Amino acid sequence: MRRYISAVLMTAMLGLLSGCGYNTMQANEEAVIAAWGNVESTYQRRADLIPNLVEVVKGYAKHEADTLKAVTEARAKVGSMQLSKDAINDPATLTRFQQNQSELSSALSRLMVVAERYPDLKANQNFLDLQKQLEGTENRINVARERYNQAVQTFNTSIRTFPNSLTNSLLLHLTRKEPFKAEPGANLAPKVQF
Amino acid sequence: MLVTHLRTLLTLLLLLCSVTSGLTMETPRLSGRINDYANMLSAQSATALEQKLAAFERETSTQVVLLTVSSLQGETIEGLAIRVAEAWQIGRQDKDNGVILLLAKQERKIRIEVGTGLQGALPDITAAQIIRKVIAPHLKAGNYDAGINAGLDAIIAATKGEFTAAATSRPAQKKTSSRYGILLVLLPLAAVVVFVAAASSRRSGAVAGGISLPLIVELSLGASYSTILLLGILGGIAGFLISLLIRAGGGGSRGGGWGGPTIFYGGGWGGHSSGSDSFSGGGGDFDGGGASDDW
Repeated sequence: MRRYISAVLMTAMLGLLSGCGYNTMQANEEAVIAAWGNVESTYQRRADLIPNLVEVVKGYAKHEADTLKAVTEARAKVGSMQLSKDAINDPATLTRFQQNQSELSSALSRLMVVAERYPDLKANQNFLDLQKQLEGTENRINVARERYNQAVQTFNTSIRTFPNSLTNSLLLHLTRKEPFKAEPGANLAPKVQF
Repeated sequence: MLVTHLRTLLTLLLLLCSVTSGLTMETPRLSGRINDYANMLSAQSATALEQKLAAFERETSTQVVLLTVSSLQGETIEGLAIRVAEAWQIGRQDKDNGVILLLAKQERKIRIEVGTGLQGALPDITAAQIIRKVIAPHLKAGNYDAGINAGLDAIIAATKGEFTAAATSRPAQKKTSSRYGILLVLLPLAAVVVFVAAASSRRSGAVAGGISLPLIVELSLGASYSTILLLGILGGIAGFLISLLIRAGGGGSRGGGWGGPTIFYGGGWGGHSSGSDSFSGGGGDFDGGGASDDW
Protein backbone atom coordinates (compact mmCIF):
# COMPACT_ATOMS: atom_id res chain seq x y z
CA MET A 1 0.00 0.00 0.00
CA ARG A 2 2.75 2.45 0.88
CA ARG A 3 4.58 1.67 -2.35
CA TYR A 4 1.34 2.32 -4.21
CA ILE A 5 0.91 5.74 -2.65
CA SER A 6 4.50 6.75 -3.23
CA ALA A 7 4.22 5.73 -6.87
CA VAL A 8 1.16 7.90 -7.31
CA LEU A 9 2.79 10.80 -5.51
CA MET A 10 5.92 10.57 -7.60
CA THR A 11 4.03 10.75 -10.86
CA ALA A 12 1.80 13.55 -9.64
CA MET A 13 4.91 15.58 -8.96
CA LEU A 14 5.72 15.36 -12.64
CA GLY A 15 2.79 17.67 -13.19
CA LEU A 16 4.18 20.21 -10.78
CA LEU A 17 7.50 20.12 -12.58
CA SER A 18 5.98 21.77 -15.61
CA GLY A 19 4.23 24.26 -13.37
CA CYS A 20 0.70 23.36 -14.48
CA GLY A 21 0.92 25.71 -17.41
CA TYR A 22 2.55 28.63 -15.60
CA ASN A 23 5.02 29.16 -18.42
CA THR A 24 2.63 28.26 -21.20
CA MET A 25 0.08 30.85 -20.16
CA GLN A 26 2.70 33.58 -19.96
CA ALA A 27 4.07 32.63 -23.36
CA ASN A 28 0.58 32.65 -24.83
CA GLU A 29 -0.12 36.09 -23.43
CA GLU A 30 3.12 37.37 -24.94
CA ALA A 31 2.00 35.95 -28.26
CA VAL A 32 -1.27 37.89 -27.98
CA ILE A 33 0.64 41.10 -27.22
CA ALA A 34 2.93 40.54 -30.20
CA ALA A 35 -0.02 39.81 -32.47
CA TRP A 36 -1.71 42.99 -31.28
CA GLY A 37 1.44 44.91 -32.10
CA ASN A 38 1.18 43.65 -35.67
CA VAL A 39 -2.46 44.68 -35.87
CA GLU A 40 -1.63 48.19 -34.73
CA SER A 41 1.26 48.54 -37.14
CA THR A 42 -0.76 47.40 -40.16
CA TYR A 43 -3.52 49.86 -39.31
CA GLN A 44 -0.87 52.55 -38.91
CA ARG A 45 0.49 51.69 -42.33
CA ARG A 46 -2.93 52.36 -43.81
CA ALA A 47 -3.26 55.64 -41.98
CA ASP A 48 0.14 56.70 -43.34
CA LEU A 49 -0.98 56.22 -46.95
CA ILE A 50 -3.97 58.50 -46.61
CA PRO A 51 -2.40 61.99 -46.74
CA ASN A 52 -0.80 61.15 -50.11
CA LEU A 53 -4.04 59.73 -51.38
CA VAL A 54 -5.98 62.83 -50.38
CA GLU A 55 -3.44 65.08 -52.09
CA VAL A 56 -3.55 63.15 -55.35
CA VAL A 57 -7.34 63.03 -55.46
CA LYS A 58 -7.59 66.69 -54.56
CA GLY A 59 -5.53 67.55 -57.64
CA TYR A 60 -8.19 66.08 -59.93
CA ALA A 61 -11.39 66.24 -57.93
CA LYS A 62 -11.38 69.61 -56.23
CA HIS A 63 -15.12 69.71 -55.95
CA GLU A 64 -15.33 66.58 -53.86
CA ALA A 65 -14.35 68.55 -50.79
CA ASP A 66 -16.88 66.83 -48.53
CA THR A 67 -15.65 63.34 -49.25
CA LEU A 68 -12.03 64.36 -48.86
CA LYS A 69 -12.80 66.11 -45.61
CA ALA A 70 -14.56 63.01 -44.27
CA VAL A 71 -11.49 60.90 -44.98
CA THR A 72 -9.13 63.41 -43.39
CA GLU A 73 -11.28 63.68 -40.30
CA ALA A 74 -11.68 59.93 -39.93
CA ARG A 75 -7.93 59.56 -40.17
CA ALA A 76 -7.39 62.24 -37.55
CA LYS A 77 -9.78 60.46 -35.22
CA VAL A 78 -7.85 57.23 -35.63
CA GLY A 79 -4.54 59.00 -35.11
CA SER A 80 -5.68 60.78 -31.96
CA MET A 81 -6.58 57.55 -30.23
CA GLN A 82 -3.61 56.72 -28.03
CA LEU A 83 -3.64 53.07 -27.02
CA SER A 84 -1.96 52.29 -23.73
CA LYS A 85 0.02 49.11 -23.18
CA ASP A 86 -2.93 47.69 -21.31
CA ALA A 87 -5.35 48.21 -24.19
CA ILE A 88 -5.77 44.56 -25.02
CA ASN A 89 -7.13 43.89 -21.55
CA ASP A 90 -9.88 46.48 -21.93
CA PRO A 91 -12.74 45.41 -24.25
CA ALA A 92 -14.25 48.91 -24.31
CA THR A 93 -11.04 50.42 -25.69
CA LEU A 94 -10.80 47.71 -28.30
CA THR A 95 -14.37 48.27 -29.40
CA ARG A 96 -13.73 51.98 -29.80
CA PHE A 97 -10.54 51.28 -31.72
CA GLN A 98 -12.33 48.89 -34.04
CA GLN A 99 -15.13 51.40 -34.55
CA ASN A 100 -12.78 54.26 -35.44
CA GLN A 101 -10.95 52.07 -37.92
CA SER A 102 -14.13 50.96 -39.63
CA GLU A 103 -15.30 54.55 -39.93
CA LEU A 104 -12.04 55.21 -41.75
CA SER A 105 -12.72 52.18 -43.95
CA SER A 106 -16.14 53.55 -44.90
CA ALA A 107 -14.76 57.01 -45.64
CA LEU A 108 -12.07 55.46 -47.82
CA SER A 109 -14.48 53.37 -49.81
CA ARG A 110 -16.70 56.38 -50.43
CA LEU A 111 -13.61 58.19 -51.70
CA MET A 112 -12.83 55.35 -54.07
CA VAL A 113 -16.36 55.41 -55.45
CA VAL A 114 -16.03 59.14 -56.05
CA ALA A 115 -12.64 58.72 -57.73
CA GLU A 116 -14.25 56.40 -60.23
CA ARG A 117 -15.95 59.41 -61.83
CA TYR A 118 -12.67 61.09 -62.84
CA PRO A 119 -10.97 59.36 -65.78
CA ASP A 120 -7.85 61.52 -65.53
CA LEU A 121 -7.44 60.54 -61.91
CA LYS A 122 -7.92 56.87 -62.71
CA ALA A 123 -5.12 57.07 -65.25
CA ASN A 124 -2.71 58.86 -62.92
CA GLN A 125 0.26 56.65 -62.04
CA ASN A 126 0.50 57.97 -58.48
CA PHE A 127 -3.13 57.17 -57.89
CA LEU A 128 -2.74 53.67 -59.30
CA ASP A 129 0.31 53.03 -57.12
CA LEU A 130 -1.46 54.29 -54.01
CA GLN A 131 -4.42 52.10 -54.81
CA LYS A 132 -2.20 49.03 -55.01
CA GLN A 133 -0.48 49.96 -51.77
CA LEU A 134 -3.84 50.41 -50.13
CA GLU A 135 -5.00 46.99 -51.30
CA GLY A 136 -1.81 45.43 -49.98
CA THR A 137 -2.28 47.17 -46.64
CA GLU A 138 -5.90 46.08 -46.35
CA ASN A 139 -4.81 42.51 -46.94
CA ARG A 140 -2.12 42.81 -44.28
CA ILE A 141 -4.72 44.16 -41.86
CA ASN A 142 -6.94 41.16 -42.53
CA VAL A 143 -4.08 38.75 -41.96
CA ALA A 144 -2.96 40.51 -38.79
CA ARG A 145 -6.49 40.47 -37.36
CA GLU A 146 -6.89 36.81 -38.17
CA ARG A 147 -3.61 35.95 -36.45
CA TYR A 148 -4.52 38.09 -33.46
CA ASN A 149 -7.80 36.23 -33.11
CA GLN A 150 -5.96 32.91 -33.26
CA ALA A 151 -3.50 34.02 -30.58
CA VAL A 152 -6.40 35.18 -28.40
CA GLN A 153 -8.15 31.87 -28.84
CA THR A 154 -5.03 29.91 -27.86
CA PHE A 155 -4.51 32.14 -24.84
CA ASN A 156 -8.12 32.07 -23.65
CA THR A 157 -8.24 28.30 -23.98
CA SER A 158 -5.00 27.92 -22.06
CA ILE A 159 -6.19 29.96 -19.09
CA ARG A 160 -9.58 28.32 -18.90
CA THR A 161 -8.73 24.63 -19.13
CA PHE A 162 -7.81 22.54 -16.10
CA PRO A 163 -5.25 22.52 -14.46
CA ASN A 164 -4.07 25.84 -15.84
CA SER A 165 -7.23 27.51 -14.59
CA LEU A 166 -6.15 26.72 -11.04
CA THR A 167 -2.68 28.16 -11.56
CA ASN A 168 -4.23 31.23 -13.09
CA SER A 169 -6.74 31.90 -10.35
CA LEU A 170 -4.19 31.29 -7.62
CA LEU A 171 -1.01 32.81 -9.03
CA LEU A 172 -1.19 34.70 -12.30
CA HIS A 173 -4.62 36.34 -12.53
CA LEU A 174 -4.43 36.77 -16.30
CA THR A 175 -7.64 38.05 -17.86
CA ARG A 176 -9.47 36.75 -20.86
CA LYS A 177 -8.86 38.74 -24.05
CA GLU A 178 -11.43 39.82 -26.63
CA PRO A 179 -11.05 38.80 -30.26
CA PHE A 180 -11.99 41.04 -33.16
CA LYS A 181 -15.63 40.62 -34.03
CA ALA A 182 -17.16 40.75 -37.46
CA GLU A 183 -19.42 43.72 -38.04
CA PRO A 184 -23.08 43.05 -38.85
CA GLY A 185 -23.53 42.89 -42.60
CA ALA A 186 -19.80 42.80 -43.24
CA ASN A 187 -20.00 39.36 -44.81
CA LEU A 188 -22.14 40.68 -47.66
CA ALA A 189 -20.05 41.84 -50.59
CA PRO A 190 -21.07 45.32 -51.69
CA LYS A 191 -22.85 45.66 -55.00
CA VAL A 192 -20.88 48.29 -56.83
CA GLN A 193 -22.65 49.67 -59.89
CA PHE A 194 -20.47 51.78 -62.12
CA MET B 1 -9.61 46.57 -65.62
CA LEU B 2 -9.57 49.58 -63.35
CA VAL B 3 -13.17 48.89 -62.45
CA THR B 4 -12.20 45.52 -61.10
CA HIS B 5 -9.28 47.18 -59.29
CA LEU B 6 -11.63 49.42 -57.40
CA ARG B 7 -14.06 46.62 -56.87
CA THR B 8 -11.29 44.58 -55.30
CA LEU B 9 -10.35 47.47 -53.07
CA LEU B 10 -13.93 48.12 -52.02
CA THR B 11 -14.54 44.47 -51.34
CA LEU B 12 -11.42 44.25 -49.24
CA LEU B 13 -12.28 47.40 -47.34
CA LEU B 14 -15.80 46.38 -46.47
CA LEU B 15 -14.90 42.76 -45.79
CA LEU B 16 -12.34 43.91 -43.25
CA CYS B 17 -14.15 42.30 -40.37
CA SER B 18 -15.71 39.38 -42.12
CA VAL B 19 -15.27 35.81 -41.05
CA THR B 20 -14.28 33.52 -43.87
CA SER B 21 -16.88 30.93 -44.77
CA GLY B 22 -16.29 27.39 -43.53
CA LEU B 23 -16.43 25.65 -46.87
CA THR B 24 -13.02 26.37 -48.34
CA MET B 25 -11.08 23.88 -50.40
CA GLU B 26 -8.37 21.75 -48.87
CA THR B 27 -4.96 23.43 -48.82
CA PRO B 28 -3.02 22.29 -51.92
CA ARG B 29 -0.09 20.04 -51.17
CA LEU B 30 3.47 21.25 -51.75
CA SER B 31 4.97 18.91 -54.35
CA GLY B 32 8.05 20.73 -55.57
CA ARG B 33 8.67 24.27 -56.73
CA ILE B 34 6.19 24.01 -59.60
CA ASN B 35 2.71 23.01 -58.39
CA ASP B 36 0.74 23.17 -61.59
CA TYR B 37 -2.57 21.69 -60.47
CA ALA B 38 -4.48 23.52 -63.22
CA ASN B 39 -2.20 22.09 -65.93
CA MET B 40 -1.32 25.40 -67.43
CA LEU B 41 2.31 24.60 -68.20
CA SER B 42 3.82 22.23 -70.71
CA ALA B 43 5.93 19.42 -69.29
CA GLN B 44 9.20 20.89 -70.63
CA SER B 45 8.44 24.31 -69.18
CA ALA B 46 7.65 22.78 -65.84
CA THR B 47 10.96 20.91 -65.68
CA ALA B 48 12.98 23.86 -66.92
CA LEU B 49 11.34 26.19 -64.41
CA GLU B 50 11.82 23.72 -61.59
CA GLN B 51 15.56 23.73 -62.37
CA LYS B 52 15.74 27.50 -62.75
CA LEU B 53 14.09 28.07 -59.39
CA ALA B 54 16.26 25.43 -57.71
CA ALA B 55 19.38 27.13 -59.05
CA PHE B 56 18.13 30.49 -57.83
CA GLU B 57 17.62 29.04 -54.37
CA ARG B 58 21.12 27.59 -54.35
CA GLU B 59 22.60 31.00 -55.26
CA THR B 60 20.53 33.21 -53.05
CA SER B 61 18.62 30.96 -50.56
CA THR B 62 15.44 32.70 -51.77
CA GLN B 63 12.63 30.23 -52.44
CA VAL B 64 10.18 30.99 -55.26
CA VAL B 65 7.31 28.64 -55.97
CA LEU B 66 4.42 28.49 -58.42
CA LEU B 67 0.92 27.29 -57.62
CA THR B 68 -1.86 27.07 -60.17
CA VAL B 69 -5.40 25.97 -59.23
CA SER B 70 -8.33 25.34 -61.53
CA SER B 71 -10.76 27.19 -59.35
CA LEU B 72 -10.79 29.14 -56.09
CA GLN B 73 -14.12 27.51 -55.13
CA GLY B 74 -15.58 30.68 -53.73
CA GLU B 75 -12.54 31.80 -51.76
CA THR B 76 -10.69 35.04 -52.48
CA ILE B 77 -7.25 34.64 -53.99
CA GLU B 78 -5.80 36.56 -51.05
CA GLY B 79 -7.42 34.10 -48.64
CA LEU B 80 -6.02 31.09 -50.48
CA ALA B 81 -2.59 32.67 -50.84
CA ILE B 82 -2.10 33.33 -47.13
CA ARG B 83 -3.43 29.88 -46.23
CA VAL B 84 -0.95 28.27 -48.60
CA ALA B 85 1.87 30.56 -47.41
CA GLU B 86 1.28 29.58 -43.80
CA ALA B 87 1.10 25.87 -44.62
CA TRP B 88 4.10 25.73 -46.96
CA GLN B 89 6.34 28.21 -45.11
CA ILE B 90 8.36 29.08 -48.20
CA GLY B 91 11.63 30.87 -47.57
CA ARG B 92 14.24 30.44 -44.86
CA GLN B 93 13.08 30.91 -41.28
CA ASP B 94 15.71 33.49 -40.39
CA LYS B 95 15.30 35.49 -43.62
CA ASP B 96 11.60 35.09 -44.54
CA ASN B 97 12.62 35.21 -48.19
CA GLY B 98 9.85 33.36 -49.99
CA VAL B 99 7.65 34.29 -52.94
CA ILE B 100 4.55 32.45 -54.17
CA LEU B 101 3.12 33.07 -57.64
CA LEU B 102 -0.48 31.93 -57.60
CA LEU B 103 -2.82 31.60 -60.59
CA ALA B 104 -6.50 30.69 -60.50
CA LYS B 105 -7.52 29.54 -63.95
CA GLN B 106 -11.29 29.75 -63.84
CA GLU B 107 -11.51 33.11 -62.09
CA ARG B 108 -8.59 34.45 -64.13
CA LYS B 109 -6.82 35.84 -61.08
CA ILE B 110 -3.13 36.25 -60.41
CA ARG B 111 -1.47 36.91 -57.07
CA ILE B 112 2.14 37.32 -56.01
CA GLU B 113 2.50 36.67 -52.27
CA VAL B 114 5.74 38.15 -50.93
CA GLY B 115 7.48 37.03 -47.73
CA THR B 116 8.24 39.65 -45.11
CA GLY B 117 11.98 39.58 -45.81
CA LEU B 118 11.58 40.49 -49.47
CA GLN B 119 9.21 43.42 -49.20
CA GLY B 120 12.04 45.89 -49.67
CA ALA B 121 13.09 44.38 -53.00
CA LEU B 122 9.59 43.40 -54.12
CA PRO B 123 7.10 45.86 -52.60
CA ASP B 124 3.40 45.79 -53.38
CA ILE B 125 3.73 48.26 -56.23
CA THR B 126 6.43 46.26 -58.01
CA ALA B 127 4.46 43.04 -57.58
CA ALA B 128 1.42 44.80 -59.04
CA GLN B 129 3.46 46.02 -62.01
CA ILE B 130 4.87 42.56 -62.67
CA ILE B 131 1.35 41.18 -62.76
CA ARG B 132 -0.14 43.93 -64.88
CA LYS B 133 2.68 44.54 -67.33
CA VAL B 134 4.56 41.26 -67.53
CA ILE B 135 2.23 38.36 -66.79
CA ALA B 136 -1.29 39.47 -67.68
CA PRO B 137 -0.66 40.39 -71.34
CA HIS B 138 0.61 36.86 -72.11
CA LEU B 139 -2.23 35.21 -70.24
CA LYS B 140 -4.82 37.36 -72.01
CA ALA B 141 -3.42 36.08 -75.29
CA GLY B 142 -3.70 32.52 -74.04
CA ASN B 143 0.08 32.01 -73.66
CA TYR B 144 0.28 30.42 -70.24
CA ASP B 145 3.84 29.16 -70.64
CA ALA B 146 5.16 32.53 -71.73
CA GLY B 147 3.25 34.41 -69.04
CA ILE B 148 4.40 32.20 -66.19
CA ASN B 149 7.99 32.13 -67.42
CA ALA B 150 8.12 35.90 -67.80
CA GLY B 151 6.54 36.39 -64.40
CA LEU B 152 8.97 34.11 -62.60
CA ASP B 153 11.90 35.74 -64.43
CA ALA B 154 10.70 39.16 -63.29
CA ILE B 155 10.37 37.96 -59.70
CA ILE B 156 13.87 36.51 -59.81
CA ALA B 157 15.26 39.73 -61.27
CA ALA B 158 13.62 41.85 -58.59
CA THR B 159 14.83 39.73 -55.69
CA LYS B 160 18.25 38.90 -57.06
CA GLY B 161 20.47 41.22 -55.09
CA GLU B 162 18.70 40.77 -51.83
CA PHE B 163 20.10 37.65 -50.18
CA THR B 164 23.07 35.35 -50.55
CA ALA B 165 23.11 31.71 -49.54
CA ALA B 166 24.94 31.00 -46.30
CA ALA B 167 28.22 29.13 -46.74
CA THR B 168 26.89 26.34 -44.53
CA SER B 169 23.15 26.04 -44.81
CA ARG B 170 21.68 24.86 -41.55
CA PRO B 171 18.62 22.62 -41.76
CA ALA B 172 15.34 24.48 -41.36
CA GLN B 173 13.83 24.35 -37.91
CA LYS B 174 10.08 24.20 -37.85
CA LYS B 175 8.51 26.62 -35.41
CA THR B 176 6.80 23.84 -33.52
CA SER B 177 10.10 22.53 -32.16
CA SER B 178 9.61 24.17 -28.77
CA ARG B 179 6.75 21.86 -27.91
CA TYR B 180 8.88 18.81 -28.51
CA GLY B 181 11.54 20.38 -26.32
CA ILE B 182 9.33 20.15 -23.25
CA LEU B 183 8.56 16.56 -24.11
CA LEU B 184 12.26 15.69 -24.27
CA VAL B 185 12.80 17.07 -20.78
CA LEU B 186 9.82 15.32 -19.23
CA LEU B 187 10.25 11.93 -20.83
CA PRO B 188 13.50 10.94 -19.08
CA LEU B 189 11.99 12.06 -15.76
CA ALA B 190 8.89 9.99 -16.43
CA ALA B 191 11.01 7.01 -17.38
CA VAL B 192 12.97 7.24 -14.12
CA VAL B 193 9.79 7.50 -12.06
CA VAL B 194 8.16 4.57 -13.78
CA PHE B 195 11.25 2.41 -13.48
CA VAL B 196 11.52 3.12 -9.78
CA ALA B 197 7.84 2.39 -9.30
CA ALA B 198 8.03 -0.72 -11.44
CA ALA B 199 10.98 -2.00 -9.46
CA SER B 200 8.95 -1.95 -6.28
CA SER B 201 5.88 -3.77 -7.52
CA ARG B 202 3.92 -4.65 -10.63
CA ARG B 203 0.91 -2.64 -9.57
CA SER B 204 2.76 0.57 -8.78
CA GLY B 205 4.59 0.25 -12.08
CA ALA B 206 1.26 0.08 -13.84
CA VAL B 207 -0.12 3.02 -11.90
CA ALA B 208 2.97 5.13 -12.50
CA GLY B 209 2.93 4.39 -16.22
CA GLY B 210 -0.79 4.95 -16.48
CA ILE B 211 -0.59 8.38 -14.90
CA SER B 212 2.69 9.71 -16.23
CA LEU B 213 2.30 9.01 -19.94
CA PRO B 214 -0.92 10.96 -20.46
CA LEU B 215 0.29 13.61 -18.05
CA ILE B 216 3.46 14.45 -19.95
CA VAL B 217 1.74 14.33 -23.32
CA GLU B 218 -1.00 16.65 -22.08
CA LEU B 219 1.46 19.07 -20.52
CA SER B 220 3.76 19.29 -23.50
CA LEU B 221 1.59 18.79 -26.55
CA GLY B 222 -1.97 19.05 -25.29
CA ALA B 223 -4.33 16.17 -25.98
CA SER B 224 -8.02 15.43 -26.20
CA TYR B 225 -9.73 13.44 -23.45
CA SER B 226 -9.97 10.31 -25.53
CA THR B 227 -6.24 10.51 -26.28
CA ILE B 228 -5.52 10.90 -22.58
CA LEU B 229 -7.64 7.86 -21.76
CA LEU B 230 -5.96 5.80 -24.43
CA LEU B 231 -2.50 6.87 -23.32
CA GLY B 232 -3.44 6.09 -19.73
CA ILE B 233 -4.28 2.54 -20.68
CA LEU B 234 -1.16 2.20 -22.79
CA GLY B 235 1.01 3.69 -20.08
CA GLY B 236 -0.51 1.37 -17.50
CA ILE B 237 0.19 -1.68 -19.62
CA ALA B 238 3.71 -0.46 -20.34
CA GLY B 239 4.43 0.19 -16.66
CA PHE B 240 3.09 -3.26 -15.77
CA LEU B 241 5.22 -4.95 -18.40
CA ILE B 242 8.31 -2.98 -17.44
CA SER B 243 7.94 -4.10 -13.90
CA LEU B 244 7.55 -7.69 -15.06
CA LEU B 245 10.82 -7.36 -16.95
CA ILE B 246 12.63 -5.80 -14.04
CA ARG B 247 11.39 -8.29 -11.52
CA ALA B 248 11.79 -11.16 -13.97
CA GLY B 249 13.43 -13.29 -11.27
CA GLY B 250 10.21 -15.20 -10.50
CA GLY B 251 7.40 -15.59 -13.01
CA GLY B 252 7.26 -15.74 -16.74
CA SER B 253 8.71 -12.79 -18.51
CA ARG B 254 6.17 -11.86 -21.08
CA GLY B 255 6.45 -8.81 -23.22
CA GLY B 256 10.14 -9.12 -23.76
CA GLY B 257 11.71 -7.86 -26.90
CA TRP B 258 10.56 -4.32 -27.25
CA GLY B 259 12.90 -2.80 -24.73
CA GLY B 260 11.86 -0.41 -21.99
CA PRO B 261 11.10 3.23 -22.35
CA THR B 262 11.03 3.33 -26.13
CA ILE B 263 7.30 2.70 -25.88
CA PHE B 264 6.86 6.22 -24.55
CA TYR B 265 8.44 7.68 -27.65
CA GLY B 266 6.25 5.71 -30.00
CA GLY B 267 3.02 6.65 -31.59
CA GLY B 268 2.45 9.38 -34.08
CA TRP B 269 2.86 12.79 -32.52
CA GLY B 270 1.21 14.15 -35.62
CA GLY B 271 2.16 17.54 -37.00
CA HIS B 272 5.06 17.62 -39.50
CA SER B 273 3.85 17.04 -42.99
CA SER B 274 6.86 15.48 -44.63
CA GLY B 275 7.07 16.55 -48.25
CA SER B 276 7.48 13.50 -50.38
CA ASP B 277 10.11 15.22 -52.54
CA SER B 278 13.33 16.76 -51.35
CA PHE B 279 11.93 20.28 -51.64
CA SER B 280 10.23 21.78 -48.64
CA GLY B 281 9.63 25.20 -47.18
CA GLY B 282 12.27 26.58 -44.83
CA GLY B 283 9.99 28.13 -42.26
CA GLY B 284 9.64 31.55 -43.88
CA ASP B 285 7.00 34.01 -42.73
CA PHE B 286 4.36 35.93 -44.71
CA ASP B 287 2.22 38.85 -43.61
CA GLY B 288 -0.21 39.32 -46.50
CA GLY B 289 2.01 41.63 -48.58
CA GLY B 290 2.07 41.39 -52.36
CA ALA B 291 -0.45 42.18 -55.08
CA SER B 292 -3.35 40.64 -56.98
CA ASP B 293 -5.00 41.34 -60.28
CA ASP B 294 -7.06 39.76 -63.03
CA TRP B 295 -6.19 38.88 -66.53
